[in-house]
Amino acid sequence: MVRVLVVLAALAFALALTNRVADATEIVDGHNAIISLDIAYVDVSGLPSWTEGSVGKLRHGDDDFVMNRMFIDYSGRLTDTLNAHVVLEAYDDDLGDAIDFTQAYVEWRPVPKSATRYRLKLGAFYPKISLENVDPAWSSPYTQSFSAINTWIAEEIRTFGAELSMSRRPVSLGGAHAFTIDVATFWGNDPAGSFLAWKGWSVHDRQTRFGDKLPLPPLPQIQPGMMFDDQDPYVEPFREIDGRAGYYATAEWRYGKQFLLRAGHYDNRANPEKEAGGQYAWATKFEHLGLQATLPGEIGLIAQWMIGSSQMGPWLNGAHVVDIEFDSQFALLTRSFNRHRVSVRYDHFEVTQNDQTEEDNNPETGHAWTLGYQFGLSKKVSLAAEWLSIKTHRCANEYYDLPETVTETQLQLLFKLRL
Amino acid sequence: MSCAVVQAETINVIVVDPSGTPVPEVVVFVEQDGAKLRSAAPASAVMDQRDKQFVPHVLVVQKGASVLFPNSDTIGHHVYSFSKPNNFVLPLYTGDPHDPVTFDHDGVVMLGCNIHDHMLGYIVVVDTEIFGLTDASGHVSLRVADSARSYVVNIWSPRIRDGKQELTKRVDRPSTTVSKLTFVLQKKLRAPHHNQTEAVQWSEY
Repeated sequence: MVRVLVVLAALAFALALTNRVADATEIVDGHNAIISLDIAYVDVSGLPSWTEGSVGKLRHGDDDFVMNRMFIDYSGRLTDTLNAHVVLEAYDDDLGDAIDFTQAYVEWRPVPKSATRYRLKLGAFYPKISLENVDPAWSSPYTQSFSAINTWIAEEIRTFGAELSMSRRPVSLGGAHAFTIDVATFWGNDPAGSFLAWKGWSVHDRQTRFGDKLPLPPLPQIQPGMMFDDQDPYVEPFREIDGRAGYYATAEWRYGKQFLLRAGHYDNRANPEKEAGGQYAWATKFEHLGLQATLPGEIGLIAQWMIGSSQMGPWLNGAHVVDIEFDSQFALLTRSFNRHRVSVRYDHFEVTQNDQTEEDNNPETGHAWTLGYQFGLSKKVSLAAEWLSIKTHRCANEYYDLPETVTETQLQLLFKLRL
Repeated sequence: MSCAVVQAETINVIVVDPSGTPVPEVVVFVEQDGAKLRSAAPASAVMDQRDKQFVPHVLVVQKGASVLFPNSDTIGHHVYSFSKPNNFVLPLYTGDPHDPVTFDHDGVVMLGCNIHDHMLGYIVVVDTEIFGLTDASGHVSLRVADSARSYVVNIWSPRIRDGKQELTKRVDRPSTTVSKLTFVLQKKLRAPHHNQTEAVQWSEY
């Protein structure tokens, strides 16, 4: 009840704020707030949800009407070149407070003095990886649930640090081409990788907020007296464990709006032998590649690849006790027809294990199909339907007396209000 | 009323790409020796901002001209140019709060918006009163003073990739009499800026 009241109070506050600004998407007095509320009817089959401490890959475990998501995306202009940006999310689950932050940063955009422009971000934000999550509050305009890659980023990746972005639009090429390089150093994010190893890939739309605790399945290896019994029964992915900063770098080439290619590297530089406050540090690094193109027939294509590894625990027999490799790919096609949008996405995902630790069995392989439809009823109200099917083979399911190969499906009907 | 009527000749300039297709929105300007057509003050001009685009995409003005930058969008724009020595910054605004910008140096002034990176516009400042932009049929008519011993016709567009020698034609008089001047470009044009933004509506958030 308290949760509902907190969410309603936040919504009322946000409404008051947007009523003051005539149109939420306009900058008036330098303030711009976007408020969104999703109500969904969900029909699911398969496994209990990971949000309930199981290994199900979906967010919702039961057929139900749910407050799927509420967010406030606020940006305020502090000066002509300095912007503050905060995003608050509310979810109807027990993983954290009723409402909490997913992003909070300031961005400095000095006026360019040459064809090279610079930007500096300070605070907590997403590294530039996703080509899907390009709408306010890191939403996807294409489907409700994110690809496996971007779901994992939503779950475990957030950087508390500084990102310097340099972009150049060479005049000699007519201004159509733009090249951008981002480099960042960050604090925190040491447990990132825990959830991917111990719960696996997922496909959903829940973004971990700063204070959230992601419940782990009842893994045998974290029970009292077992190998990793220092682990709390949940993951706090944004914690700093070893006092060592991580980094990432991204390079991007954009040709007008027709073509975009992005590649990057992320490394949290965690010391895999450290543990603090119930969370282990996982040395997680990955490469990512993304492509966005406009195909004939006005069809949009987005594809992303990710390949990486994570190690945790003491060095034993030439390897860390936990040593996994992971990779995933997806391709998404989308087409708008006036106020309608249809999207289809195929995801493939995999975790393999290099270590010989029998008590810690993490491999999985699977794929997912997602079909999304959206209809913009008005500027403020849209309706969406999404069907999603994930087939996974995960050996560790036997720990919980669940089938090793399982297909989960979900149908979501959404009413989306955006102010 | 006595006016100093200067005899003038009209020249028709046509710009076509390598396949013979007319090229619109090409800046054409004429530098002539020893004659002035008129000595009026440079005309002022307007570079509007509409739907997160500079309108027109290419503007040509005479050196010393003042240009207004009204913002017809409801969102703010932060217009700047780093093209020295014509560089300038207009602090974030909507409507028309800023004084016009005077361009005292010839050259190409590339325009941007510090909020919307994809916004791109050009002001071409020329040191002559004879200038124009080609129309949809790649054509523009300009008037050159009869007394000019010779003149040079120049063309410029952000889409043109040809070298400088292909973009200039010198006409000596009276040995040559020209009323139609055709520039045939050797290299394929770059895609027009508006085509780059009209395709699939990728989110700009």
